[in-house]
Amino acid sequence: MDEWKPNPPIKPHKKRSWYLAWKYKLMNQRALRKLCQTGAVLFLLVTVIVNIKLILDTRRAAYEEEEESAQDYDDEMLNVEVPRHPVNNKKVLDVEVYSSRSKVYVAVDGTTVLEDEAREQGRGIHVIVLNQATGHVMAKRVFDTYSPHEDEAMVLFLNMVARGRILIFTIKDEGSFHLKDTAKNVLKSLGSQVAPFLSWRDMWTFVGKKGGEVYGEKHAKSPALSTWGDPVLLKTEVHLTSVEDAECHWPDTELNRRRKRFCSKVEGYGSVCSCKDPTPIEFNPDPLKDNKVFDVPVAVIAGNRPNYLYRMLRSLLSAQGVNPQMITVFIDGYYEEPMDVVELFGLSGIQHTPISIKNARVSQHYKASLTATFNLFPDAKFAVVLEEDLDISVDFFSFLSQSIHLLEEDESLYCISAWNDQGYEHTAEDPSLLYRVETMPGLGWVLRKSLYKDELEPKWPTPEKLWDWDMWMRMPEQRKGRECIIPDISRSYHFGIVGLNMNGYFHEAYFKKHKFNTVPNVQLKNVESLRKDAYETEIHRLLGEAEVLDHSKNPCEDSFVPDTEGKVYVMFIRMEQEADFTTWTQLAKCLHIWDLDVRGNHKGLWRLFRKKNHFLVVGVPASPYSSKKPSSVTPIYMEPPAKEEGAAAVPAVAAAEQT
Amino acid sequence: SVKQHVVRKFLGLISSHNIPVYLIDPLILGLVDKDIEQIKSSPDGPSLECKYFCAPRDFTTFALLDKTWKHEVGLFRTAEKMGFQWLKIINKDPRLDGMDDLSGIEIPLHYIFKLASHAIHLVVFYERSGNYLWHGPLRLKQHMDRKFVPFRKLHFGRYPGAYEKPELLLISIDDLKVQIPKNPSSFLEEMSHSRFLECRYREARAFFQLYPDDTSLDAVEFRKKAKSLLHLAALTLNNLGVKFWLSSGTCLGWYRQCSVIPHSKDVDLGVFIRDYKADIIPAFQKAGLPLKHKFGKVEDSLELSFQGEDDVKLDIFFFYEEDDHIWNGGTQARSGKKFKYLFPKFTLCWTEFVELKVHVPCETLQYVEANYGADWKVPVKTWDWKSSPSNVQYNGVWPVDEWDDVIQIY
Repeated sequence: MDEWKPNPPIKPHKKRSWYLAWKYKLMNQRALRKLCQTGAVLFLLVTVIVNIKLILDTRRAAYEEEEESAQDYDDEMLNVEVPRHPVNNKKVLDVEVYSSRSKVYVAVDGTTVLEDEAREQGRGIHVIVLNQATGHVMAKRVFDTYSPHEDEAMVLFLNMVARGRILIFTIKDEGSFHLKDTAKNVLKSLGSQVAPFLSWRDMWTFVGKKGGEVYGEKHAKSPALSTWGDPVLLKTEVHLTSVEDAECHWPDTELNRRRKRFCSKVEGYGSVCSCKDPTPIEFNPDPLKDNKVFDVPVAVIAGNRPNYLYRMLRSLLSAQGVNPQMITVFIDGYYEEPMDVVELFGLSGIQHTPISIKNARVSQHYKASLTATFNLFPDAKFAVVLEEDLDISVDFFSFLSQSIHLLEEDESLYCISAWNDQGYEHTAEDPSLLYRVETMPGLGWVLRKSLYKDELEPKWPTPEKLWDWDMWMRMPEQRKGRECIIPDISRSYHFGIVGLNMNGYFHEAYFKKHKFNTVPNVQLKNVESLRKDAYETEIHRLLGEAEVLDHSKNPCEDSFVPDTEGKVYVMFIRMEQEADFTTWTQLAKCLHIWDLDVRGNHKGLWRLFRKKNHFLVVGVPASPYSSKKPSSVTPIYMEPPAKEEGAAAVPAVAAAEQT
Repeated sequence: SVKQHVVRKFLGLISSHNIPVYLIDPLILGLVDKDIEQIKSSPDGPSLECKYFCAPRDFTTFALLDKTWKHEVGLFRTAEKMGFQWLKIINKDPRLDGMDDLSGIEIPLHYIFKLASHAIHLVVFYERSGNYLWHGPLRLKQHMDRKFVPFRKLHFGRYPGAYEKPELLLISIDDLKVQIPKNPSSFLEEMSHSRFLECRYREARAFFQLYPDDTSLDAVEFRKKAKSLLHLAALTLNNLGVKFWLSSGTCLGWYRQCSVIPHSKDVDLGVFIRDYKADIIPAFQKAGLPLKHKFGKVEDSLELSFQGEDDVKLDIFFFYEEDDHIWNGGTQARSGKKFKYLFPKFTLCWTEFVELKVHVPCETLQYVEANYGADWKVPVKTWDWKSSPSNVQYNGVWPVDEWDDVIQIY
């Protein structure tokens, strides 16, 4: 009590939003600004005095504090108070918009809400959406309309913005090269007179209300191909409407209150904020009978990709057997919008101060999230780990419910994963089929608590190591020969094309054509045969039944596999020792499956489908299944391309990583 | 009676939202405990008098397990419609406090529902790592109404508390059906020393800033073994009903860095000599921990060491209480010299350490300072138990004819 400290440091992030709001309001009132500031200082002083008095009262009223621990762990008492008398309802916003070759900025009532003068970045049309009643920034986007297809994304986005919102546009560098007529017409319909005639290296700013008045537009033509238009600065005023006018009139329910809070803050989520017919935010999928994973915590690992998170949570909450109370979203950083998305769905979210950089940052975020998950659910034996750029299959929990007992009982298992690295549209066929693989696919997986607590957590790579968590988990020191169970047809779909190790080309080549199960309630086949010893019996049975393909043909050709359905075929490739994947990699490449590193193998055996036939590949002589090779068959050898060509064929993201 | 009426309304409110609560009011549980056999044998008999819920008091205390309900807003709306005023006390989630820089959730710790002159205090219990239940302290934030109820009289909330998961019993008293802990008297006993200390995570982080943690493979391995040895020791002693606490280096590790000190090489526990049981040695042997040495005797300076896996040793020091201090003894095997380690008096609190609910001295700072001096914050790798501790006293020599008894090495 005596040493009790009334004013521990205030955490800035918590106070930020009202502080900004207040600052904002004050700065609006141009004439009253000075007066208000003086008033605020006085008010602060009064607040401090009131607080000190309160503290003295607290000493009497509250419990006697423990001497040494209480002083550090008490509540923040000396909070600066929000002014109680709202500064008069502001009616007008001052907006400044600047467009030039190397710099753009937007200021609202003197506060810079966009500033981009980075070199070689931020080219194209910047769009800002303001709330018409509060003036808050609801969305900020940039569309590089110098490049193809970006104008389509802009049209999609603009169509999603609700009527009445204030839209601000400004061009940095170049924004017209791939700005097609459709997009120009949309801009025209917003009231722009210049948009239809925007051309090469023109500078342009525009402020208008969606479906309403135009507040200003400025344009500078580029005089010649080699030069840019002069910078333009647009200064204008925007009249604010009342809060009631800016909101939809949904029935007053708990769900709609969440929706209202969300929709008044952010834009760009489409029909969830539609006044007439908003899309549901509660899904109530069918419960699962005898759900073995109802009490398993689900950790969603997220960064600052709120639109992804929105899509991901929708699919997760629509999956049969989901238990929203077990879901925690871990956000890497103090980003507001992902948290808004989490709250929209009524889930709990935790923000994590970023530690380290790049891959190590992701890795530290993973560690914090996993530790927190097992702390929050101390009874849990497992945790489901998901990422924000995954779609979750409707039978995801059903799949886990049917297989989780294996992870509990079979110590030779490392994880259960919803993702089959080799499960593409043309190589996966059977939703009821499971495999054992020596690799750790991630992308929606189940982690055993004992594995995490006893083995992984204590030696998790430290921040300065700059390692990928999943690459680290795949290392033999960690995996120790254990295997993961995966489905033939994935129960997750990786839709993210923006990411740390991800780009459009990479996604197109390796993820877009992945097969994703959409069938509900799939009954998994012969789950017990996935146990360590049973699986060997199963493989021997399969190989016994398999028809040996004609090894004189080219395995890359479609004709290598006969035009049948439902048969089992086997081929043998050369594999000198356990780590010799020369031929496999070439085969994977010509089959258009994952070839950046070796995935999906089990003792030198790969299982996939070709033309609806089960297709087995055995590496000879390294695989123990080599004995099944008829002596007349020579294993196929495929030569790697010469070095120079190889370098060109492999995309820049050769350090293959999926997160 | 108003009290019975308020309790009845509250139970109605709670059951209309399917929220399972149980009675933990010490006053009422005390009354119930006296009649427990009778109450159990006549579960549904109508009672004419109001014997329990009308007892004079300002509030009635119930417990709620966090995981058994959703934090729904509907409950409070119904409560308001029924005329209740309510107060919710939230604070940081201690389950995440140990972690670097997480933020996001404050959790509800206490609810108070007030109607007329009576109030219901609803204490929220959380499951924590170590298979126990925890409730938080009750601290008012500045904007809260300090006169909402006489807070100082509340039975729960002065300190955080740790409890075993209770078995429940549905009883009917004063025409009200209510769940209570199956054994009210042992619950009340547990309540009397339930005080919980959170580890000093913030200080621990500061410590690791100054002295980066040892993450070598050896350190990881040792921590893993120390943890499993501590779990095994706790299981063994708890089964015998012997109360123990973290002592010496293990206690220092908890207090200073919230983890096992990797270079400590053993696990140290303290036990009051009055709790000594002859079964301790056979029980440990049965658990796979053979006796390594036994120094002293029950009357004086008793100390037991058991051999854990791969050279990790478990030391149990027995503590002797005097009027103004507490001490334990040490013996040098080679010379028969005796040493005495003095501590100021202390009581025991619960804490969580390596996923275990264990005791530590509540007055931890004095305890650690007595043992390690004012510089306990500085890691020391060479430690001589005969001279390094700041509270060691030379205590004579064992008579040679007793050596066979008081110096046993295996």
